[in-house]
Amino acid sequence: MTTTAFPSVLGVRIRPVLGLASVTGALIATFMALVWAPPDAVQGEVQRVMYVHVPAAWTAYLAFIIVFLASVGWLWSKRPAFDAVAVASAEIGVLFTGIALVAGSIWAKPTWGVWWTWEPRLITTAVMFVMYVGYLLLRSLSTDLEGRATRAAVIGIVAVVNVPIVHLSVTWMNALHQLPSVLRPGGPALDGRMLATLVASVLAFTILYAWMLATRVEIETARQERVIAARGR
Amino acid sequence: MGPSVDLSGLRRAWLVAGREARADTRHPDGIVAAITFMAVLILLESIVVGPQIARDTAVAPALYWIALLFAAIVTTTRSFDRELEDDALDGVIALPGGRDALYAGKLVALGGTLGLVALVGGLLEIVFLDLGIALPGHLVVATIVGVAALPPIVVLDVALTVRLRARAALVPVLALPVLMPQLVAATNAAGAALAGDAMGASAWSALLFAIALVYAVLGLTIVPTAIE
Repeated sequence: MTTTAFPSVLGVRIRPVLGLASVTGALIATFMALVWAPPDAVQGEVQRVMYVHVPAAWTAYLAFIIVFLASVGWLWSKRPAFDAVAVASAEIGVLFTGIALVAGSIWAKPTWGVWWTWEPRLITTAVMFVMYVGYLLLRSLSTDLEGRATRAAVIGIVAVVNVPIVHLSVTWMNALHQLPSVLRPGGPALDGRMLATLVASVLAFTILYAWMLATRVEIETARQERVIAARGR
Repeated sequence: MGPSVDLSGLRRAWLVAGREARADTRHPDGIVAAITFMAVLILLESIVVGPQIARDTAVAPALYWIALLFAAIVTTTRSFDRELEDDALDGVIALPGGRDALYAGKLVALGGTLGLVALVGGLLEIVFLDLGIALPGHLVVATIVGVAALPPIVVLDVALTVRLRARAALVPVLALPVLMPQLVAATNAAGAALAGDAMGASAWSALLFAIALVYAVLGLTIVPTAIE
C-alpha cells in the first residue's frame, strides 16, 4: 500500500485558507443569527437555535455522503487517501450529528415541552448516530490497515442509506417535527432574513467541516505513513 | 472440489448452503441453541412486561422479532465459528468466486435455519401467550419475508468481524441499528395480521420484501470483497 500526495497538498495549501475562512464565516453567521435575523413570530428568541441545529444536521449529511464516496473509492482503488478521508469525515459527521441532536433537544424543550420525544426524525437521527459510532468502533477494534479500511468501507456504504431516511422521515411519517423549511416543494417557507441567515450558517458550517476534514486527513495520512514505515522495517 | 473446477456462482453458493445444511443436520447444536435462546427470550420478555401486556397484538410481535433477531445473530456467529474451527473458511475463500459463494451460501443457509427457528419460536409464543390469529395466511407471509430480511445484514456484520476479537460486542452494535427498519416493518406486519388488518399486513410485508431485496443486492455487491 502506498500513500498519495493528495492529502498533503490539501493540508499544506488549502488548510490555512480554510481555517481563516472558518473563523470569518463563524463570526459572520453568529452576528446574523444573534443580531440581524428577526425573532420568530411564534417561538420568539428560542428559534435562533435553528441556525445551529439545521446547519449541523446538513453538515452531518454531507459528512456521511463523503464517507460513502470515499468508501467506494477505497474499495475501487485501495488508495489510502480514500480511507483517510472516510475516517475523517465519519468522525466529523458523528460530532455534527451529536450537535444537531443536542441543539434539537434544547430547541424542543421550550417548544414541545420535552427534551426528547419518540418521533420519526429524532429516532432516525439517533439511529444514524449510533450506526456511525459503530463504524468508528469497528475501525478502532481493527488493527490491520487494509482490513480495517475494507471492513469500514462496507459499513460506510451500507450506513449512508440513513441519510435520505432521516431527511425524508418527516414527509413519510407525519409527526411532531416540522417539515423541511428550505428544500421543499414550492420553495423555502422562511422570512428573507431568516433564510439568508440560515444559508450563511450552513455555509459557515460547511467551511468549518472542510477545514476539520483537511486537518484530520493530514493526521490520518501521517498515521498511515508511520504504520507503513514500521511494517517495512 | 478443486480450484480448477468451473462452477457457476449460483452452483457454488448452493454448495456452501448445502454444506451448511449437512453440518446443521449432523451437529444440530447451533439450531437447538438458537431455538432455546429464542424461547428463553420470549419467556423473559413476557415475564418482564407481564403476560397481559405481552399478549397485546402490538407487543407480542415485537417480543417475537426481537427474540428472532438475537437468535439470528447467535446462529450466524455459530456458523462462522464452525468454519473457523475447521479452517474451512480459508479453503472456501481460496476458491475462485469463493467469497461471493460464501456470502450467498450463508444467506440461503441462514434463511433456512432461521425459518425453522422462526416456526418453532412462533408456535411456542402462540402457545405461551395464547395468541389469537385473525389472518394466518398474512402472518405466514409476513414471517417469511421478515426471516428473509434479516440474513443480509446479520451475515454481512458477522462476516466483516469474523476475525476480530471484539466480535461479540461489535456484531450487535453494527447490526441492530441497520436492522431497525426491518424489525419495525416485521413487527407491524405481524401485528396487523394478528389484529385482522389485511391491508396493513400486506403493505408492511411488501416494504419488508423491498428492504430484503435492497440489502441482499447491496450485500452481494460489496461484502464479498471484504471477507478475509
